[in-house]
Amino acid sequence: MNSTKIPLDLILERLAQDAEKAQQRVSKASDVLLGELNYELASTPYEIVYSEDRVRVKHYFRNENVENPLKAPLLVVYALINRETMLDLQPDRSVVKTFLDGGIDLYMVDWGYPKRKDRFQTIDDHVNGYMNNIVDFLRQKHNIRKINLMGICMGGTFCVMYSALHPEKIKNLITTVTPTNFDTDKGLLHVWMKDIDVDRMVRTFGNIPGDLMNFGFLLLNPARLMIDKYVGFIENMDNKDFVENFVRMERWIFDSPDVPGETFRQFVEDCYQKNLLIQNKMFLGGRRVDLRNLTMPLLNFFGEYDHLVPPPACDRLSAAVGSKDVEDVCLETGHIGIYVSSRFQRLFAPKIVRWLKERDAQETPLTKLQRSNPPAASPPKKKPAAKRKRVAISKNPKAPRKSPTKTKSAKKSPVRKGKLTLIEKIAQAI
Amino acid sequence: MAQDGNPFPNKESILLPWLQTLGEMWLNLAKAVPPNSDTALKTQTVIQNRFTEQLQTNLNLMKSLSLMMSQPESASAAANSVNALPEILLKMAKSGFDAAIQIQNHMIEKAGRIGKRTEAYNFDNLDQEIFRALTDVYEKELRQYLKIPPLGLTRFYQERFNAMLDKHNLFETTLAEFLSILYLPMEKSFKIFQEKLNQMAEEGSLPKDTKESYAMWLKILEGHYMSLFKSKDYTDALHRTLGNLEDFIIARDQALNDILQFLPVVTHKDLDDLYREFYDLKKRVKALEKQMEVSPNTLKTATRP
Repeated sequence: MNSTKIPLDLILERLAQDAEKAQQRVSKASDVLLGELNYELASTPYEIVYSEDRVRVKHYFRNENVENPLKAPLLVVYALINRETMLDLQPDRSVVKTFLDGGIDLYMVDWGYPKRKDRFQTIDDHVNGYMNNIVDFLRQKHNIRKINLMGICMGGTFCVMYSALHPEKIKNLITTVTPTNFDTDKGLLHVWMKDIDVDRMVRTFGNIPGDLMNFGFLLLNPARLMIDKYVGFIENMDNKDFVENFVRMERWIFDSPDVPGETFRQFVEDCYQKNLLIQNKMFLGGRRVDLRNLTMPLLNFFGEYDHLVPPPACDRLSAAVGSKDVEDVCLETGHIGIYVSSRFQRLFAPKIVRWLKERDAQETPLTKLQRSNPPAASPPKKKPAAKRKRVAISKNPKAPRKSPTKTKSAKKSPVRKGKLTLIEKIAQAI
Repeated sequence: MAQDGNPFPNKESILLPWLQTLGEMWLNLAKAVPPNSDTALKTQTVIQNRFTEQLQTNLNLMKSLSLMMSQPESASAAANSVNALPEILLKMAKSGFDAAIQIQNHMIEKAGRIGKRTEAYNFDNLDQEIFRALTDVYEKELRQYLKIPPLGLTRFYQERFNAMLDKHNLFETTLAEFLSILYLPMEKSFKIFQEKLNQMAEEGSLPKDTKESYAMWLKILEGHYMSLFKSKDYTDALHRTLGNLEDFIIARDQALNDILQFLPVVTHKDLDDLYREFYDLKKRVKALEKQMEVSPNTLKTATRP
């Protein structure tokens, strides 16, 4: 009897304490929730410099006083799923701000919100259409032959395709959480997509609704994303900063444009189901996408705990390209933790700034002839023995690394032990 | 007692006087209307005349019908048809009742198996018989009524409307199955959590606060979800639900399209045809622009947001 009585007393006592704390929290939370809250995201100023159909290009104002600013501009291409505002979620967690402070002349593609009229647009329309027009626009604006290109997730896959088809226009390529090898069962998305009847989906919906996709993403980890997240919110709703950041994150997550039907169909059929890209068998606009044409320097980031795009979906790219200058960086975080976690904010964006500066040589101006007649992609040459690096950046230096080599940068990576914030937990869960 | 199980043995004797009375009533009514009264002719318009003529014709028709029906053979045939109606209704009610009994039996069977459905962290061969039974009952007992071939001018509209109801019902049953599968990890995690708490209580190491207990339960739940999502049963149920949702949306759109056609509005089908043409045309224009080195940038002046 004693063994049951003591825990029961303790439990009741703890419940009473919890109830008292909860009452205090609710009372304070009502002040926070009824007060003025600032949950605006993407607050870094920019101007729109290019507009075509629903697509726009944002140009951010860099810090001109920074030492050694980059000569070649950087174009960031986000995925068609969710929005590019994630890179500028809040002032103290902004990849955009770090890039600008580092002297990068930053442009970002805003794909807009596809309407039903856009349902017939294919990957070719995005890559050889919009992206190519934007790159040409920037080359002319800056009077240069090549620009830097960075892609995120599906946007990264588009960048890989683009750089393979137009290598003469790309100086350096950065891919982050970019799927290129789809033949893996590590990510649930890869498993679920294998047998999906994409044709019927496209016939049914026209464009694939953002809400449907978001529901699918929530189902990837319902315990964290549908329960724990909101329990965390209730626990912290008396904290104004927390509430503001939480609502920002919510606004970003559920701001999901629809994906043009034909683009979705091609992405699922050619990539997820047939895995054509990594095998150099994919065709866009009648041209074969040959990854051996990727001869520019490549920096490839991915997250070790990424459930959406797991490491095996990303790390085969470096071996498939024709470049001699390739670096893989594996971060111990999830799909969006790379961009929004404060821990990785200090690793990810500064690393890109450094990497680009190391490769920012004097540019050859674009001549009139080159503008109208850009040199065609040279046929793939036999790949020279490339010197490749693979880096694993860990939050815990004592943790065993999966990477085959450890480099100086890995050792230098700042480490912070301690409790994960809720935002970081959500970032890891995604 | 009725012979041959017939509940109305004297139906002819009941019907005959009633039909005769009915016939006489129509006859008298027809006589009461003056056919070619002068005053009526002066005040009636052409349309009103047509109406009176039509009325008279109808009354005469009714009169003939009543007289014909008053013949013993006709009355018997009519009575037989009236008798058949309750039989049809009874048959329909019976299949509905059978379905309800079948569902109830499955529910009782399921109740006996609660807690024995699957092992912890194992989601193979899920017990989803109750939902299969629901689908089965619907497909075997109820669906047939929606599959009766419609006739006449509106047959295609009716067919599409029935298809919409059919697909909706199928989607509902598969959705119920899918949601039940999604709830399984919850069910299991509570069970495992309870077992773990018992074990900890025996060891005297109960969690210090609710937060710790919650974290423990969440970890169990997450593990169960991960196991579930990798199981073939779950993937199959997901695809089935998505497939049935798509079928329902297609059927719904087709039925709605029929309704919209009667209204002065553009349908999705019209728009999609137009969008296709618009898309092809735009591609050609862009290719021409490229040839002529015209920038597709539509922005004339840069503006701040």
